[in-house]
Amino acid sequence: MNQQKAEKKMSNSSRFQRGIKDLWKQRELQAMVWPGLIWMAVFSYVPLVFLYIAFTDYRISTPLFENNFVGLKHFAAFLSDDRFWRSVYNTLGMSALRITLGFCIPIFFALMLNEIKNAKFKRLVQTLSYMPHFISWAIFGGILLTWLSQSGIINQLMMTLGLQDKPILYNGDPKKFWWIAFLSDTLKEMGWSAIIYLAAISGIDPGLYEAAELDGAGRWSKMWNITIQCIRPTIALLFILAVSGCLTSNFDQIFFLSNSANMARSETIDLYIYNMGIVSGRFSFSTAVLFFRSIIAYGLLRLCNFTSVKLTGESII
Amino acid sequence: MKKLVSVLLAAIMIFSLAACAKGGGTETTSAAPAQTEAAKTENTEAAETTVSADAPAWEKDTSPIDMEWFVGASWYGYTWGDSLSTKHITEKTGVNINIVTPTGDVSEELNLMMISGTLPDLISLGSWETCYNTLYEQGYTYALNELADQYDPYFWKVVDGSVVAWHTKSDGNLYCVPNDAYGAEQMAETGMTAAVQTFLVRKDLYEDMGSPDMSTPEGFLNTLRTLKNEYATYKGVDITPFYAQGGSGYGLTSYLQNFLAVPYEEDGKIYDRISNPDYIEWLKTFRQAYQEGLIGIDYLVDSDDQVTEKSNNGAYFCMLREWSGMQEANAILASSENPDSYYIAIDGPANSNGDAPLIFPGSLDGWMSTFISKDCKDPARAIAFLTYMLSEEGQKDIFLGVEGETYEVVDGKPQLTDEMIELMNSDPNTFATQYGLVDTYWMLRNSVIVDQWRPASPYYITAMSDWADKNAFVNGGIYNNLEPTGDSDEAIAATRINQRWQEVVPELITAASDEEFDKILSDFLAARDSYGYEKVVSYEQNLLDARKALFQ
Repeated sequence: MNQQKAEKKMSNSSRFQRGIKDLWKQRELQAMVWPGLIWMAVFSYVPLVFLYIAFTDYRISTPLFENNFVGLKHFAAFLSDDRFWRSVYNTLGMSALRITLGFCIPIFFALMLNEIKNAKFKRLVQTLSYMPHFISWAIFGGILLTWLSQSGIINQLMMTLGLQDKPILYNGDPKKFWWIAFLSDTLKEMGWSAIIYLAAISGIDPGLYEAAELDGAGRWSKMWNITIQCIRPTIALLFILAVSGCLTSNFDQIFFLSNSANMARSETIDLYIYNMGIVSGRFSFSTAVLFFRSIIAYGLLRLCNFTSVKLTGESII
Repeated sequence: MKKLVSVLLAAIMIFSLAACAKGGGTETTSAAPAQTEAAKTENTEAAETTVSADAPAWEKDTSPIDMEWFVGASWYGYTWGDSLSTKHITEKTGVNINIVTPTGDVSEELNLMMISGTLPDLISLGSWETCYNTLYEQGYTYALNELADQYDPYFWKVVDGSVVAWHTKSDGNLYCVPNDAYGAEQMAETGMTAAVQTFLVRKDLYEDMGSPDMSTPEGFLNTLRTLKNEYATYKGVDITPFYAQGGSGYGLTSYLQNFLAVPYEEDGKIYDRISNPDYIEWLKTFRQAYQEGLIGIDYLVDSDDQVTEKSNNGAYFCMLREWSGMQEANAILASSENPDSYYIAIDGPANSNGDAPLIFPGSLDGWMSTFISKDCKDPARAIAFLTYMLSEEGQKDIFLGVEGETYEVVDGKPQLTDEMIELMNSDPNTFATQYGLVDTYWMLRNSVIVDQWRPASPYYITAMSDWADKNAFVNGGIYNNLEPTGDSDEAIAATRINQRWQEVVPELITAASDEEFDKILSDFLAARDSYGYEKVVSYEQNLLDARKALFQ
């Protein structure tokens, strides 16, 4: 008995030693992993504790757990606010555009880029198309507002082309806002989003194409039967992420493009949190909205993953 | 990628809130004993070091000290220490200031500073900011009366009694001192007010049109019709017919209501200014003008840069706009190739009785108020510095500069030298950055003192400001900032109502017909009630009654 125990003990400690040894062997890899893990713990897991704010009347001068517990008061407050539901509607509306059209455009763009045979030209187009990604929305939004103004380039262009007979205040019309947001986002991010697909495409075995060519496949056939089939996991992955993010919007973009005239269609959940919560210092309220949104987003993620597994066999979780 | 960034941002925000929750907590608990301790030592200290009310405390200690001063205006662009006036003050008092301004929303930034315990020593902000109340209610700032009694009783000699009475909170403490505080009596006596609300038109264009009357709805519409038909482009500029400052929340709300002499109270009861028939008629006039294509809603949409560009080119025909924001544009226009293209104030929209407007005159509230935060390293020096800045000597140093260099005394009256006045008018920017005089550092400006030294304004400024002074409703200061702020129930209701109203105004103006207009308005009034309008009114009523009691 005792001997057995001792053996077990030894094997335990030797396993521990082996573990340490393994860790040491992989030290370069570990060094790359740990900062990420720590970052995640600090910025993603620790804050979870503070979701408690949503259930209290939080005052910034009082320690977290000494604040009055009020239960679901703040949840009830925003759920009964018609403005909250309007912001949900706007967020979903803009996300619908983003998930349908906005999701296909970068794939299409990547496929087109891939077909360009002139390497120099291809690289030039790629660089130019992802450059706008590095401009902040504060600047890009400012430029855009000038373009969209009554004397701006877009009105001049449309009038020169005879598509409209007088200047239109594009950004003052709520009905146009979703499209402005969608098109400007596409303009800015298309090239950047295409990169991941280009990377996936470049990983496809050239042998597949050669074999297809021997079988007499044309360009379209190769694109459809090889390229798209090979990047399907990537597409599925990004699609699941896109759907789970459909309750978020690009805050910077909406913040700079919205104004009191188009607010009816420009206020997304993010902007609602900002307008109702942060500006007025209602921390509990905004935390509650944020919490609620996260729960729904998680549900969407599971749902989408489930569908994906059923349909294509691709799962990410 | 975007999602990741936004999640990250949200996480950072929550985390910083959280981290600060701890910091903030320990702060308040530790601050209390510190204060009582300070109070205890007060007596003994008072006996040893002579804290006297006869001499300001700053003179006794002029050793170098650095202080941070938060100025709650993202557009404020001047620094401390580069200009003549601030260099002079730093040499004299030993206090070197680092001015910090918010990059975005003032409350958002201050909230973060509060929870992270990194508030600057001095904080100046407007009372309309939502964190204004939080600053003193949750113990983030010193009571100035306690600091003054303890370290610098001379303070009481440099602040005006009515200002102190106005700003003393219900707990009996004075937490901040305002700039530009105007009392009603003083305005009536001197004729100088802080009134800035004007109706401006481009002079040459307006006179070419034969100076038409624009104070009635018909006159207003007819003038805009003439403008559209005959002056769509004028002297090479595409004319934008109309501008309203602050868009729907200000220019077309309280600003317009003031022009229409909509009362604030009726028989002692808070009056619902939005439901006033004259006001509704004028909003319908704007709707009509929009329908006919006489005006746009560009003023609700344009960015500040676009507005500045249009103003500096004289592209607006008429504006509901504070003249103070047009000083630079008018200087540019008056020296342009069309020297008559600057803006002048004329009688703007008026009510059906033709009553004189109730132009907001400035009030004891002042513009911005300055606090000393509990994070301040040396509150004794801070209150001494505040006392100095508020004193006549400090006001002179910051407004006029150095005697013999930037100002001289003529017939016992100090005035800026001619070169300074010349520079101020011709190159305001250089004047401000190099010399930093007159209105450059307005954070603690006492208009009662500095107005006597103020050089006469050039004609293109008085063309706007005289009208405002003449039409100021000098007893109107009492109605300023009645709205609840902060995170109380009333304040939340008020915020919701205001934000809703800002959206409703564009809907009203772009409505297809008067019937649709009426429907949108009645929908708003119903929504307003559901948001808790009653609570807001009763809050305002109580505040107004309390203010009246203060002055009886």
